[in-house]
Amino acid sequence: MDLNKTLKELCLSGGVSGDEKSCAELCCRLLSQYTDDITIDSFNNVIAHIKRGKDKTLLLDAHLDMVGLVVTYIDEQGFIKFSKCGGIDGRSLFAQTVTIHGKENIKGIVSVLPPHVKSKSDEIPDIGDMVIDTGYTKEQLSNLIMYGDSITIDSEYNELLNGRVSAPAIDDRAGVAAILYALELIKDKECAYNIDVCFSSQEEGGEVGAKISSYKLNPDIIIECDVSFAVTPDDKPYECGKMSKGVMIGISPSLSRKMSYRLIDIAKEENIPYQLEVMSDGTGTNADVYTVSMGGCISSTLSVPIKYMHMPVESVDIEDIKSTGRLMAEFCVKGGI
Amino acid sequence: MELFDLTEKLCLADGTSSDEADVTELILSLLPSDVKAYVDPLGNIIAEKKGRATPKNKVMLAAHQDEVGFIVTYITSEGYLRFDAVGGINPEVVIGRTVHFKNGIRGVIGTKPIHHQDTKERKRQPEIKELLIDIGATDEENARQYVTQGDTAYFSPGWQEMGEGYLKAKALDDRLGCAMLIDLLNSELPYDVTCVFTVQEEIGTKGAITSAFTVKPDFAIVIETTTACDFAGNEGDKRVCELGRGCVASYMDRGAIYDKELYRLAFERAKENNIPVQTKTVVAGGNDSRSIQVSTGGVRTIALSVPCRYLHSPACMIKKSDVIATNQLMRIMYEELCSI
Repeated sequence: MDLNKTLKELCLSGGVSGDEKSCAELCCRLLSQYTDDITIDSFNNVIAHIKRGKDKTLLLDAHLDMVGLVVTYIDEQGFIKFSKCGGIDGRSLFAQTVTIHGKENIKGIVSVLPPHVKSKSDEIPDIGDMVIDTGYTKEQLSNLIMYGDSITIDSEYNELLNGRVSAPAIDDRAGVAAILYALELIKDKECAYNIDVCFSSQEEGGEVGAKISSYKLNPDIIIECDVSFAVTPDDKPYECGKMSKGVMIGISPSLSRKMSYRLIDIAKEENIPYQLEVMSDGTGTNADVYTVSMGGCISSTLSVPIKYMHMPVESVDIEDIKSTGRLMAEFCVKGGI
Repeated sequence: MELFDLTEKLCLADGTSSDEADVTELILSLLPSDVKAYVDPLGNIIAEKKGRATPKNKVMLAAHQDEVGFIVTYITSEGYLRFDAVGGINPEVVIGRTVHFKNGIRGVIGTKPIHHQDTKERKRQPEIKELLIDIGATDEENARQYVTQGDTAYFSPGWQEMGEGYLKAKALDDRLGCAMLIDLLNSELPYDVTCVFTVQEEIGTKGAITSAFTVKPDFAIVIETTTACDFAGNEGDKRVCELGRGCVASYMDRGAIYDKELYRLAFERAKENNIPVQTKTVVAGGNDSRSIQVSTGGVRTIALSVPCRYLHSPACMIKKSDVIATNQLMRIMYEELCSI
């Protein structure tokens, strides 16, 4: 499996929260190598079952939606007003080229005053005061787009040095890629559990997809595979992990301590680089939903450290995706919970 | 080559002020063999072409080669690149962007995530000097294998046709002007002409100083792009000028007060020839005119510009019909000034 190629495909497949179809279909195709039992539900959750004839079922979950924007209004001259869909960083939007996913994909630019006329102010305007310029009139646009259409920022898939990559939607396509990598590693191996996979929708809007999928799935154990913060020079080291230092194993009062320790043991046994992500409350991921769904399940998080989260240049080290996938695969094989 | 194909080719080239060599080479390769071209010590291309007749007045047309971009000023121990803008770039078009270096190395510019920003930080645009380029290097030594201080970095070209007859790219300021001059030099001309492709416009119109001295023209026409703010949120005079309303003839900017007679003449000739023309409703910006008009005892100068939204960003946007209007008016004015 060429992880770089898979990640690129995933990152460039669009899929703002609530409009994940394009990415969901890609995920189905990528999963089809490992099972025939795949469905996309009415909320764009992609659910796959890999039966291994075991008593217990382990769920591997990553969210497939990405942060973006949504069309809220078109003014008389054809400029488009928009709202955030998920917590996108508003400071990074100006002069970005965007794609509006209407009847056709329409290109636009987020308007910005040039330095020649801009008054000296470092205050960021409210997102409600920003507009997108498409070069079309209101009338022309009325046949092409609707209020509610999703908007993605046109950032590129950039290969940086040392196997690091910058792309849109690394949050959480890195997690999706890690799960696919794990499935590849366990393809011909005996596993301790039946494996369920969920690529869930609308996580960025409040774990909506997971709330729905958790009712349909009834796992005994879950591993939530999301992204977390890799430190940058302007950030607090004590609130972040480090890029290129391996998978981040979650320890949190809302997760199973036993499970986290088991994952640490396996990482040690298999020489998988890892770091700890210690949280003092909830995890802010789908794990919080699954843990308490129905009768509850044993859960932990494995996070891929990324930089610049919720900006159009989210960055990841492919090796960190690999160590995350490897640890997941080893747990599938070794079990112990 | 068609004017917009020329423009695309030129926008894809990289060249900030004083690092225009690739652009210079490209322009030289696009000039026909009957053009006598000379590159001066600063890097200006001075290109002369014979026309059917020797003009009464020597007319110089000018467009600048350089674009706004970035320069690496420092490499941190962790392998990040500290940088500054070359030319006026506002930080809000820098955060969340990809840049590339001439050797193909790519970098991204981000900050700590929104989740770790306090309310104040979310509302404040950091200054360029606070930002870092991340090329994926693991430490300073690793970064230095690929990038050194003084290297220049560029926005992604992003050439894109948009809407009904619009174009978007980096560096349209002023590769569009360069394309129009190349197009002129590839035509059969009524009079001898001198076109200069200047350098270092974005850091104080330096190239214009020496090229105007060397050419010593009687008249000059500066071909540029200029600030249009005709998008939502800006009303009346705040729109400055508008896309789709034709060529912009300037009476004044922050660098020059233009020759009144020539300014009026541009409007008259445009009207006679049904060429849409407009002017700016705000005194802002500046261009090579500021240096050309004070050269060698004074040069009567006009600026004809294509209105451009989002100048000095990775997504400059123009309307093709304005380019055609500017190109037409440029040719009419050049011919007229030769014999005025």
